[in-house]
Formats: sequence, C-alpha cells, structure tokens
Amino acid sequence: MGERSLLNQLIDALRCLPGVGPKSAQRIAFYLLERDRDGGSRLARIMADAMTRIGRCSRCRTLTESELCELCANPNRDDALLCVVEQPSEVVAIEQATDYRGRYFVLGGRLSPLDGIGPDELGLAALESRLRDERLREVILAISPTVEGGATAHFIGDRAARHGVKITRIAHGVPLGGELEYVDGGTLALAFAGRRDL
Amino acid sequence: MPRQDRLFLAFVLHRRDYGNTSLLLDILGSGQGRFPAIAKGARRPRQPASALLQPFQPLWLAVAGRGEVRTLTRVEGAGPPIPLQGRALLGGFYLNELLLRLLGRHDPQDPLFAFYQSALSRLAEDADLETRLRQFELRLLDELGYGVRLDQVAEDGAPVLADRLYTYEREHGVRHASERAAGPRLSGATLLALTNGERLADGQRREARVLLREILAPHLGARPLKSRELYQRWFGSGAIAESPQRRDPTTARPVDSEEPC
Ligand SMILES: [Zn+2]
Repeated sequence: MGERSLLNQLIDALRCLPGVGPKSAQRIAFYLLERDRDGGSRLARIMADAMTRIGRCSRCRTLTESELCELCANPNRDDALLCVVEQPSEVVAIEQATDYRGRYFVLGGRLSPLDGIGPDELGLAALESRLRDERLREVILAISPTVEGGATAHFIGDRAARHGVKITRIAHGVPLGGELEYVDGGTLALAFAGRRDL
Repeated sequence: MPRQDRLFLAFVLHRRDYGNTSLLLDILGSGQGRFPAIAKGARRPRQPASALLQPFQPLWLAVAGRGEVRTLTRVEGAGPPIPLQGRALLGGFYLNELLLRLLGRHDPQDPLFAFYQSALSRLAEDADLETRLRQFELRLLDELGYGVRLDQVAEDGAPVLADRLYTYEREHGVRHASERAAGPRLSGATLLALTNGERLADGQRREARVLLREILAPHLGARPLKSRELYQRWFGSGAIAESPQRRDPTTARPVDSEEPC
C-alpha cells in the first residue's frame, strides 16, 4: 500500500475527530468502505456543505447557515432577556433542558489574556451594543466557573452596570443526586456561597 | 525505582488543553521552580482535578518523570482559591505573565515561590494594587539577578533624597536629573518608597509604573504583555469598540489611563 494511498489519507483525515486515535480512525475507515458506502458518501456530502456554508449568526454569533439563526429570527422569544454563553453547544443544551425563552449571545470562549483571547475575540463590542441599545430586563451569564470564566463574567457585569442592565449568573454547585461528601471543595464553596431561601 | 510521589506546594501559572482529555500546565512549584506538566485525563467528565488545576488555586502536587515535561501523579487542594476579582484578578494574570516571560524552566527559585504566594494574597486583600505589583516586579528582578539600586545615584553613590528629582537610564541606572538625561524623570520620594516597600502615594504611582516599565523592557523584549492590554481595554473609560491605545490628539502619545501594570 502506497504511503499516500486514498485509504491512508482517509484514516489520517478521520483523526481530526475528537476522541478518534489511529486505531479508531482505521476501524471507521474500514467500516465505511466495507459496510456502509452510502452512509459514507452522505457524510462526505453534508460535511463538505456544512464546512463551507455554516457561518455565524450576525446577531448572536451562534452557528447557522443563514444571516440570522432560528432563535434570533423567532418573533415569539422574549427580547428583554439575554443569556450569554461560551459555546453554541450550550445554546442547544439550555434549549433542551430549560424553559428559557429569551435571546442568546455566544462568546465563543472566555477572556484569557495569556492566550491572547481578549474582548475582540469574544465579540464583546457587539455584546455591549446590545446592552446599550436593547431594552433588556435581565442578562443571564451562563459561563463556566473557572478563573477565566470569572474574569469574563466580571467584565460583562461591569459593562452591564454602565448601561444600567440587571445581570445575573447561573448558580454553580452540587450536581443533582450528588453526595456532598464526594463534591470537590471548590464546588462546595460555590454552592455554599450561592445558597438561597427555602 | 525511587518513589516520586512526594507532595510539594504549587500554583498553576497557565493551562491549555492537550489532546482530547488532558491538560498541559505551566507550574510554579515550591522548591521546583517553573516547569511544564501534563495532567492526563483531567478533562474527562467528573474529574475534580480539572476544577483544581486553575490559576490562583494553592495546590499539593506530586509528579513523575525526569524529562522536560513531567506528569502529575497527585493533585490536592491546599486551601481555598485566592479570591481575586476585577482589577486584582487582572493583576494576578499580570504576575503570571511576568513569570512565564521572565522565569526560566526548572530553576528552583524558592524565595520566589513564597513571594508569589504572598503577593497573590495581598492582591486579594487590599485595594493598593499598584504598590503590590511594583513590589513584585522589583523582587522578581532581584531574584533573577537583574536587580537595580534605587536608593543611590549610580555614578557617584550619593544617597537618593526624597525632595530631589532623578532620572533613570537603562545603561546607567539612577542619575541626578539634568537636561541631557534621557530616561523617565521621577522624585526621590518615589524611589525611596519603592526601595522600602512603602505604599505609593497617588502622585508616585504613575512615576513608579513608568520606571518599572523602563527597567523591565529590556528583559521582556518587544512583544507586548497581553494582560496589560486587557487591562487597558477593561478599565479604559470608553466603550469596548474603541481602539485599545487611545492617543492624545495633540501629542499623539498614548493617553495615561488608570492602568496599573
Ligand atoms: Zn442568532
């Protein structure tokens, strides 16, 4: 088999998938070629289409092939609520798990000065325009409780305060069904600090 | 084979994703200096180590391996994270960036570890961010062997006097102020406050900041400090959309904003 045979190229290419090492890449390649060429062809077509046509929503920065994503285009959502998340996948998670019916803004990461991720990379100027121009009742920050997440939340909180917008951050704490004994100290401290009236 | 699971105190200076489930960390360890290490599988779901392996969290660590990059074998919290917020948090990022830029790897700098730890605690405690940052910078320069004397004039050894003016030049150190002197101009009181680790008064903060930038510049090189840029963006008075370096329209020099780094 030649060094750059198509088969080898396919196996190599499959390794860009998260969690797929050389062994799994080989297994997937053989599976598609031997058992499911239709599935493989369809995957290739849609993959090529998706990679070129999916961009970012001009309003919330989530992934979409349109100018506006479905959530931003939907007239039945509450314009006075804005939920700020790090990743497009979190929009989907919140949509599936909660009854939230407001709008979203996707940062695409967290402020991380040492990695060169600053306000520009996160679209914070666009977010600030929304804080200033829209009649928002509440901005909900759904940002991970890491050091960089804390910096990001604080930064946005400062900007929201300048524009007189109420800001909240989702509670972080003990997982449902989790036993306190097994929760790490940091999580427990956050859960304790975020306690509320019964 | 010798057991290598002796625990030491440490801080994560920086972390980044490594492979699909691991973290590559830059660590400052007591008695270990600065070194890179991998935390294998730390990004798998329900891994408490991932929550712990963050900047400003005091840690007990054990490592294995003898090569350039070590492998973490144990991770335990050594107390609650140092509660840095807002300006103090950016100050903390700045300290980490200075260490990453200036500190070589595997060079055990024991006094530096203790000083870093106490500098973080002090950042969290009080509002006098600038004095803390200046003290850390001077101490770091000392530990690295780049220390400069600020309490006497380099050329004639005359003691610096609080009510006199001086200049600082990279090649010559502190000099008597004169028309031909090139570097930043500053008061003896500021030089003495820095030497004695005293709280900087309002008018002294800017002088001290400009001085330390001048002293650090040859060691930092041309690449700008990113935490400094973020500070300007964050606390600059304008909207985020404005360019980070606001310039004075008359002199075309950067406007001096409230930036402590
Ligand atoms: Zn959208």
